[in-house]
Amino acid sequence: MTECVECGADVTLHDDLEVGEIVDCTTCGAELEVVDTEPPVLERAPELEEDWGE
Amino acid sequence: MNVGLLYSRIRKDEKLLLSELRERGHDVEKIDVRKQRFNLAEAPEAFADLDIVVDRCLATSRSLYATQFCEAYGVPVVNSHETAEICSDKVKNSLALEAAGVPTPNTDVAFTTEAALESIEEFGYPCVLKPVIGSWGRLMAKIDSRDAAEAILEHKATLGHYEHKVFYVQEFVEKPGRDIRVLAVDGEPIAAMARSSDHWLTNAAKGAETEPFELDARAEELVQQASDAVGGGLLGVDLMEAGDDYTVHEVNHTVEFKALDGAVETDIAGTVVDWLEQKVDAESLEVTA
Repeated sequence: MTECVECGADVTLHDDLEVGEIVDCTTCGAELEVVDTEPPVLERAPELEEDWGE
Repeated sequence: MNVGLLYSRIRKDEKLLLSELRERGHDVEKIDVRKQRFNLAEAPEAFADLDIVVDRCLATSRSLYATQFCEAYGVPVVNSHETAEICSDKVKNSLALEAAGVPTPNTDVAFTTEAALESIEEFGYPCVLKPVIGSWGRLMAKIDSRDAAEAILEHKATLGHYEHKVFYVQEFVEKPGRDIRVLAVDGEPIAAMARSSDHWLTNAAKGAETEPFELDARAEELVQQASDAVGGGLLGVDLMEAGDDYTVHEVNHTVEFKALDGAVETDIAGTVVDWLEQKVDAESLEVTA
C-alpha cells in the first residue's frame, strides 16, 4: 500500500511490482508510474505521446 | 544468457517476458531508455556483456534510435533497426509488402491536400486516411463523403506536425467484422487471434473482442512473406480476409501480445524466450566459428 501522488488516497499494489509499470489510482483515476519497488514509490505517469504504440 | 530489455513503460507484455526470462535463470538488465545517454562511440554501461537486447520501447522515435545505437555498439538487438525502420512507418511498411508481392490494400501517398483529395475521390467513398506514424488505431479516419474529406485534410494540414502532411490514403477493405493478428518469430506463427468489433476499427486497443484463429496454409505463407519483407524478427502481422484471399495491412515491430496471451492456450512468452535463446545460441556459434 502506498499513497497516490495526485489525490493522496491509498493505492493497493500487487506483489510482483516492476519499476516502469503503471498502476491506476482507483480513487482519482490517475495513472501512476512505479519508480521504485523497495519501498514502492509512485510518480505521475507521462502523458500519452503520439508515437507510442506497437 | 544476459538479456537487455529496452523500455520506458513496463506493460503486461514486458512483465510476461521478464517473468519467463527470470524463471529460466537468465540475467535480465532492464534498460529504461529515458535514463540513457547514447554516445556515438562508447556504449552506455548498461549495454556491457549483453548477449542480446530486446527492444520494447513504447515510443517509436526511441525504438528507431535505440536499435540503431545497439547495432553501432555491436550488440545484437531484436528487432533489428531495419525492421523497426520499415514497420514504424506505414508508407515504408506498405512499400515493403508490395515489393515482396504480398497482397496489401491499395494505397496512395500524397503531399498536399489537393493531391490527397484527388486520391480520395478516385478511391471513392468510403476510403481510409491514416497517419504514417502511429498505433492502436489512433487518428484513423474512415471517410464517407467529400465534405468529410475536405474537413479532415484541412485539420491535418493546419493542426498537425509535418508527418500529418504526408497523406496516406487507402482503399476501404470490406472485412467480415474482424481482422487477424498473427504473432510470429522470423515468419513462424506462434499464435493467431481474430479481433472482432461492430466498429470499423478492430484493434484490441480499441476494445475489439478476441478469439483464437486457426491459420490456413495461405495465411501462414503470407505471414512468412510479410515477415521476410520487413527483415524478420518478433512481429505482429495483421491480415484481413478479403474475398477468397487475405490482404496484409501492416506488420508491427514492437508487438503487444497481452490480448493474444489471453485469447489462446499457447505459452506466448515461453515461445518468444525459446526463440531468443535460439538467437543467442546462433550468435555464439557464429562468433566461435
